[in-house]
Amino acid sequence: MAKTYEPDTGQQSPRGGLILLQSLILGLFCLFTVRLWYLQVHKGEHFAELARENQMRQASIIAARGMILDRNGKPLAINEPSFALGLIREDCEDIQATLRKVSEWTGLDYQVLLDTYIRGKKRSKPFEPMVLISNLSYELLAKIEANAVSWPGLEILIRHKRYYPDGQPLAHVMGYVAEANEEELEKDSRLALGDHVGKQGLELVLEQRLRGEKGLKQIEVDAYGREHDQQVIQEPRTGGNLMLSVDADLQAFCAKQLEGQAGAVVVLQPETGKVLALVSQPTYDNNLFVLGIPPKKWKELRDDPMHPIQNRVSQSVYPPGSTFKLLMAACALSEGMIKTSDTVVCTGSYRVGDHDFHCWKKGGHGSMDMRSALVHSCDVYFYQLGEKLGIDRINRYALQSGFGQPTGIDLPHERSGLIPSTAWKKRRYGENWTRGETLNASIGQGYVQVSPLQLAKFLAALVNGGKVIRPSLVLDDPVDVQSKLTLSDKDREFILKAMADTVQAGTAQKLKRPDAVIGGKTGTAQVVKLQNADIRQKTHEMPYKYRDHAWISTWGQKDGKSYVVVCMLEHGGHGGESAGPVVKAVYDYLFGPAPAAAKTAAKAQPAPETGD
Amino acid sequence: MSPLDRRLITHINWPLLVMIAMLFGVGVLNLYSASGFRMGDGVSLNPFYQKQCIWGLAGFVGMITMTLFDYRYFKHVAWPLMILTIILLALVPIMGKTVYGAKRWLDFGLFSIQPSEFAKFATLMLGALMLSKDTGRLGWLELFTILAVALPPAAMVIVQPDLGSGLNILLLLGGMILFRGLTGRVFKVLLVVVPVLIPCGWFFLKPYQKLRVLTLFNPERDPLGSGYHIIQSQIAIGSGQMWGKGFLEGTQSQLRFLPEKHTDFAVAVFAEEWGFVGAIVLVALFSIFLYLLAGSARDAKDRFGSFLCAGVFFYFFWQILINMGMVLGIMPVVGIPLPFISYGGSATIVNFCLIGIVLNVSMRRFVFKKA
Repeated sequence: MAKTYEPDTGQQSPRGGLILLQSLILGLFCLFTVRLWYLQVHKGEHFAELARENQMRQASIIAARGMILDRNGKPLAINEPSFALGLIREDCEDIQATLRKVSEWTGLDYQVLLDTYIRGKKRSKPFEPMVLISNLSYELLAKIEANAVSWPGLEILIRHKRYYPDGQPLAHVMGYVAEANEEELEKDSRLALGDHVGKQGLELVLEQRLRGEKGLKQIEVDAYGREHDQQVIQEPRTGGNLMLSVDADLQAFCAKQLEGQAGAVVVLQPETGKVLALVSQPTYDNNLFVLGIPPKKWKELRDDPMHPIQNRVSQSVYPPGSTFKLLMAACALSEGMIKTSDTVVCTGSYRVGDHDFHCWKKGGHGSMDMRSALVHSCDVYFYQLGEKLGIDRINRYALQSGFGQPTGIDLPHERSGLIPSTAWKKRRYGENWTRGETLNASIGQGYVQVSPLQLAKFLAALVNGGKVIRPSLVLDDPVDVQSKLTLSDKDREFILKAMADTVQAGTAQKLKRPDAVIGGKTGTAQVVKLQNADIRQKTHEMPYKYRDHAWISTWGQKDGKSYVVVCMLEHGGHGGESAGPVVKAVYDYLFGPAPAAAKTAAKAQPAPETGD
Repeated sequence: MSPLDRRLITHINWPLLVMIAMLFGVGVLNLYSASGFRMGDGVSLNPFYQKQCIWGLAGFVGMITMTLFDYRYFKHVAWPLMILTIILLALVPIMGKTVYGAKRWLDFGLFSIQPSEFAKFATLMLGALMLSKDTGRLGWLELFTILAVALPPAAMVIVQPDLGSGLNILLLLGGMILFRGLTGRVFKVLLVVVPVLIPCGWFFLKPYQKLRVLTLFNPERDPLGSGYHIIQSQIAIGSGQMWGKGFLEGTQSQLRFLPEKHTDFAVAVFAEEWGFVGAIVLVALFSIFLYLLAGSARDAKDRFGSFLCAGVFFYFFWQILINMGMVLGIMPVVGIPLPFISYGGSATIVNFCLIGIVLNVSMRRFVFKKA
């Protein structure tokens, strides 16, 4: 290794270079001396004053989130105290060692804690504790509290935790709050790491109304950083309480009726659009999400074939089946294309091209006018009506009536559903619309997809005089009329009367009670297309996933009170048979039990024909 | 001739060694004040000043090692070291370990290394080698050759992201080029072109990088981050006034208003406790230190040694200028530590090793005269 080297020839170091180095040193010395003089001598007294003021620290005061109550004042979302582990980085001598210690106490991964710290560091004010771990269990709390004293910078923070006393039945309505994620933190500068924000349901949509405003306090500290005195500079503002139109007891009752089934029930007041119950089954426990749902539990929920997280009232769309005939009738009357007395002869099928379109009643209904066609749900009548109207006219009217678009309810991720048109099919498939497709659409099959809430909204409009009202969950929010049905009062009442007749003598006789006026329309939506009605099996003989969806949409009036109740049972079979009893139970709840005489009378009636 | 000739020991640059010892001593003393706390929980955490002493010891060993062989041996390692550095830097994005949000470390199980530290040595040695080859001022061709070799590693360090180290490497090389001198034409053209090129480079930056640069120059953009640092640092320094608050008595640092008081802002603790008088002494110590480095460059027996010393000079000069400038509020906030004063393991070791190179050059300044 010890080589010998020949000395280089020529000048050793550039003369100019040396002058450069020396001038740089001189410049550095002068620059710093002047600046130090300015800061320490010239402005010294000023900074000394600022240093004295520095013994005050400022810290946020957490504001409670507004509570959510039902229409009777029953609490649905409340705040409970919870404990979090906070870290004040300025007080922390060695962040990494401290985090390692926390990891040791809690069993949480060090890297996760470090990542949390790095994320939080960017967002926390000096001397403001950043949340490292939220919702400490009492066990962890005790462990940390015993140890944290000797680790400066760690602090137990008392915060608010959301709790939903009713949990499951209202999970889809309430949604839940959970810790704000990266994206939410980025979007909203008022949020700090560990803050909770609405993630689903009302909690998400009404976030701004529910969230309060943090306050500010000033803390005087001594030379050791110990707190001496506190002074509130700005009081925190608690988020606004919300009173819902929902009746929690009715909601729980409806949920119970659907137990073990997949389906949806909506109960609303037709005059105001206020929702009394909005049930989607199966459901989940929203309290699970507040604490951060364990991955295993989340996987279970996500992979559940019954999709419990899906809100079937507003996020699921289905072919409406015969309940769509109400819209068909309204459309035809509004367009003046037909008189209610015009008749069609139903022979059990209707031929278009080389294809027979069957009526659900094999032998046919015979001569049908609009009233009897609605009461008996005659398919052939509506095939011909649909042909007359054409799909684009149906499409236009349905859109005006609130279908094919979100209803605007205070819930997130609403589906639009679908009302097809010739232009839509061209756009979607590049193909022309066919006559047969119009026939299918006319009885609420084929491409037509609606949500239970859209149907309830339309029905409310029929009942309330034609006002298409945005369904609303907040009691005090003003009634929001979105549009008006183009339908004369006479025609509207005609349809309502036909619905009442359906309960009296048609497919919805299960709802009959002598002390109230109830109108209904059942629907059975085919899930799979069967070529021939003859080969259709009985519902219970079919595999679950091929069974029809059962619908019933109804309104009821008694003692000046008026309700719209819509029920949909996924793969429930025939509307009247399976969805009917649910709605009947709801009316029994709303109007009180039906008089005993009526019950026997109903029993005495011949069993209604089913199969619409 | 044994590599450890007695003459070598007698020719050791004692003033430089004394100066290093003083600066490092001030640094440890200051860290003692800056780490006011002890951790509890049975496990007592080594305070920073203790750890710094251990780093200093390791650095001392590194420094001695650097003097054990003839520095001209570096001529042979310059290229291989640069190639190794580039390979290691290329590995960082692939298999690097993320610490505090940045990928800078390569983990080899038993030990981890930070390739950006290698880049400093590689740039220094290769720069000295290339610049010392000729005696005239630097023309276009030579300038571009050097830039073509030295810019890639610097760029790779900057994207890690380690802006501090990357800037350090660039400035070190820039200083060495200025030390060699540019021809009049090149100098004039660069005087016009560089100020134009810098804003052009702006368009190549990603949005988040732009934001970072904007924050650098305008602390108000980041009032909770670097802006806060600047304000608190000035309060600490200013409130020290003429005579200081006394050792361990600095309220701003003891109260932890001052962030990163043991690393980038360590000198603010010093200025608060020792006042204007103490701070001027420290600045004077640094000036003498730099003067000694410049002297080593002047006295070196060959151009290679001279350029090595000049490179080390610029390595420290820029760090002192940027760090103290930042703490005093006249420079943007960049994460560059103050040599020998800020706490830091690898920085301390690298600093000592670089001093070792200068000692190597200056102790051999008479050797081959007599050979």
